[in-house]
Amino acid sequence: MTDRQIMTGDEIRRAIVRISHEIVEKQAGTQGLALVGIQRRGVPLAQRVADAIAEHEGILLPVGALDITFYRDDLSLVAEQPMVKGTDLPFDLNGVTVVVVDDVLYTGRTVRAAMDALIDFGRPRAIRLAVLIDRGHRELPIRADHVGKNVPTSREEIVHVHVAEIDGSDEVTISRQIRTTEAAEAADR
Amino acid sequence: MTTATTPAATWRHRHLIDVDVLTWPEFELIMRVSEEMKGILARPIRKVPALNGRRVTTLFYEASTRTRVSFEAAARNLSADVVSVSTATSSVTKGESLVDTVRTLEALGAEILVMRHAVSGAPYLAAEIFSGHVLNGGDGWHAHPTQALLDLYTMREKLGHDLRGKKVAIVGDILHSRVARSNIWSLTAAGADLWLCGPATLLRGMDRWAVAWSGGAIPGHGRFNVTSDVNAAVKDADVVMGLRIQRERMQGGLLPSLREYAARFGLTAERVALTKPGAIVMHPGPMNEGVEIAPDVAVSGRSVILDQVANGVAVRMALLYLLAGGHEATHVETVR
Amino acid sequence: MSEPGASRNGVGPSVGELVERFELEKAWLVDPISGREGPGEIVVVDGILESVNWLEGAEADGVTDKGVVVAPGFFDLHAHFREPGFEDAETVASGSSAAAHGGYTSVALMPNTQPALDEPGALERIRLASRASGSPVEILAFGAVSANRAGETLSAMGELADAGVLGYSDDGAPVRTGKLMRSALLYAGMLGLPIVEHAEDLEFTSGAEAHEGYVASIMGLAGWPSAAEVNAVSRDLAVLADAIKDEPRARLHITHVSTAEALDLVRRAKAAGLPVTCDVTPHHLALTDEWIAGARRWAWDALNQDGTSRDPWADSALTAGPYNTSLRVNPPLSTPVDAAACLAALLDGTASAVVTDHAPHTVVDKEVEFGKAANGISGIETALGVLLELVDAGKLPLVRAIAALTTGPASVVAGWPARTATAAARARGLVEGASADLVVFDRTDRWKVTEESLRSKGKNSPLLGRELPGRVLLTIAAGRLAYQDAEADDAE
Repeated sequence: MTDRQIMTGDEIRRAIVRISHEIVEKQAGTQGLALVGIQRRGVPLAQRVADAIAEHEGILLPVGALDITFYRDDLSLVAEQPMVKGTDLPFDLNGVTVVVVDDVLYTGRTVRAAMDALIDFGRPRAIRLAVLIDRGHRELPIRADHVGKNVPTSREEIVHVHVAEIDGSDEVTISRQIRTTEAAEAADR
Repeated sequence: MTTATTPAATWRHRHLIDVDVLTWPEFELIMRVSEEMKGILARPIRKVPALNGRRVTTLFYEASTRTRVSFEAAARNLSADVVSVSTATSSVTKGESLVDTVRTLEALGAEILVMRHAVSGAPYLAAEIFSGHVLNGGDGWHAHPTQALLDLYTMREKLGHDLRGKKVAIVGDILHSRVARSNIWSLTAAGADLWLCGPATLLRGMDRWAVAWSGGAIPGHGRFNVTSDVNAAVKDADVVMGLRIQRERMQGGLLPSLREYAARFGLTAERVALTKPGAIVMHPGPMNEGVEIAPDVAVSGRSVILDQVANGVAVRMALLYLLAGGHEATHVETVR
Repeated sequence: MSEPGASRNGVGPSVGELVERFELEKAWLVDPISGREGPGEIVVVDGILESVNWLEGAEADGVTDKGVVVAPGFFDLHAHFREPGFEDAETVASGSSAAAHGGYTSVALMPNTQPALDEPGALERIRLASRASGSPVEILAFGAVSANRAGETLSAMGELADAGVLGYSDDGAPVRTGKLMRSALLYAGMLGLPIVEHAEDLEFTSGAEAHEGYVASIMGLAGWPSAAEVNAVSRDLAVLADAIKDEPRARLHITHVSTAEALDLVRRAKAAGLPVTCDVTPHHLALTDEWIAGARRWAWDALNQDGTSRDPWADSALTAGPYNTSLRVNPPLSTPVDAAACLAALLDGTASAVVTDHAPHTVVDKEVEFGKAANGISGIETALGVLLELVDAGKLPLVRAIAALTTGPASVVAGWPARTATAAARARGLVEGASADLVVFDRTDRWKVTEESLRSKGKNSPLLGRELPGRVLLTIAAGRLAYQDAEADDAE
């Protein structure tokens, strides 16, 4: 098993800064925006984006966390990952442009589940998607509005995103180990 | 005894018939998932698609509106399809056996069977022949796992997650109570100081059980106390739980009268005043107000009976979710 | 071992045919009459046990009690063959086949058939069925104590005696009242026959599901207190003490005693000279109530050194699913302490015999919820295996085990005045010149108890799936072939 580094900590930082500018640019400001990170690693990433926006715009956007465990389309994963991590949306979604933040975009099923969940909470004006890594192999018609890095991968590869808040360091690596369980694929999304 | 642990990483049980098979990390997993489910119940849309398209069938051999509706609500909140079979109006009245009924329901697409039965052990028979999941809604005098779990959830919600050393008094017809039996397993696992109280005729055999466990022989489950002295049981208790007294007990020569029971064992305001400040009053329902619990106590500020009902839906959602999501490969060899 | 009859015409006899010639060399013989066991040879010619030759010295070399064993055919004093009335569960034919597979050559049937065996015509039906079955297994019967076993009036006891019943019992139920028991003891005593009592105080057992104790408490099963048996035995002994004053020939035999306290009452009554005997079953010797919780260890493995019962939950001994209905039996499986008391009673002679209480049931009656299941274990084919487990565990000498199945029941019957010196009371041993009545089994050849291997229609055995020692190779009853193992090898 060889782990290849595809983003360093500095590269991650710069990508987040660029994404934060893109988000504000697309909205032509910060009005009506909110960030929602998908558990698990999308949450600290969403917070970092919010912090970056606060730094260059002076406005701290509302940040929420979304657990899509109950919206997944594959329940057989429950046995291996029954632990729910928590949903916390401390603001009203109605009429708000929600930017969903996640670490890796893969098949698109997680984002589909996230959209279903958000719509159960209210009626956002729009939903946009920001991801750190887009590794291709979409199974649903979903695309990201903001991408940190496009990384072509094969299905046998696994993308590991490490964030300091959870993993102690910042980097993105790829490994070639073949894992056959769907849980592994979903972990990469 | 319990220690602070992380919840179990995986759910291994194909069925949940009794809480006697659960380890403490598994209890905590159920509590954690129940908490999430309770969060869903607080949302504007109180529903998630987790069990979309899955068939939950309730098979109730004993009439019970509240428990059955609770399971139905739980299933619907997870977007499952619910079919309810009440044997009073089914072919069981024509003599159909349990085995035939379960096979028929399986052929009709049942995936999760929620069963309530008057004979102890019946869900184990169903589990032997049913290829899906069996969730016990109460069997005879033996077990009522979802009740014990919602009781545990409610106690932790009100008293804090660490129940070690907290005094819990269960007062009523212990002998015939599946709620009491399941609570013995769960509360001793939680490390609570458990007291069972009732008239001697309704405590028969329980002291023998308590003594058998007093040496710590069963890993994770310690001794509990058995007494017919209600004041000793409720004194300084953190939780007082009343159990229903049934009229049949008089016909069976076990009790002189309900009036005498109420006088000697009923949870009156005076008796509840002996508990700790902040103690809670519980009851699995339905209540015989004026018998095992006084009407004013049932609606007092200490009473969490309605919380139990609400928590029951969340806990049942959690169990349906965990059972439905299990992998074949990870299931513990069944019929336990 | 030569095939019976093979040397004559190359074809073995079929069930029911006279065994023309059968020789067995270098086997372990057990003769419970003399108490002798050891290497030996037997020869059967034209249905007679012509020669019993005990080997000494060099000839006996290499022959141990761990190989092929020859014993007298077993005598079951208590079995249910369900005919007439419940032929779905068993018939005299299938029961005889099962009995022979278990090594039994004589079986005494209980009268709780439909109609009950309360008048001579019913006995004749059973005899006809036995003849029609072609099995040489001797079928005996107890008549009912009360008409239709209703516990109100006495059955046609005299006519039944003339027709040849072994005694009287309302088994399935106790004799309903002490008053009726006294009349029964007097009347039957006059006829020289016993009352065989199923000792149960019905007031205690209404709705009861399992032995009242630790296991039932945890499992939420309605308790069946020991007092139910103790009370009933007390009553019966008191009534017997009263009855013999008026009729000294009154005899009481209490069947399937299961509790330590009741066995002790019998022990003391016998010491005081009361004409009472009792028996115990293999399931009360070897199984306990913890099996209902899912344990599968023998009773003697569930005992502490100090003689107290172990806790199956603490021992993680629960390896099977709980509430298995093949464990529901009357009297219920009791604690390891009670099982040990049954063994002690067998060893000290308080219990004179082991009986099977073979109680076959249909799937319909057993594949239901525990509390709704019919009571009874199909046990006539597994009795030998269970006793050999006790022998293997060092709890019971082989010769005592064989005696419990042969001379023990014979001695009980011999003690009934009308029975002395009649055929049913014949001593069961390896006697030269007598009609061949024997069983040959291989002590260490284990056989698996399955629905296919059981000859009985009743598959309600808690030992299904288990291997037992002592595969029966050959059973000869009254000189005729009763059972032959299909894969019998030459044994040297």
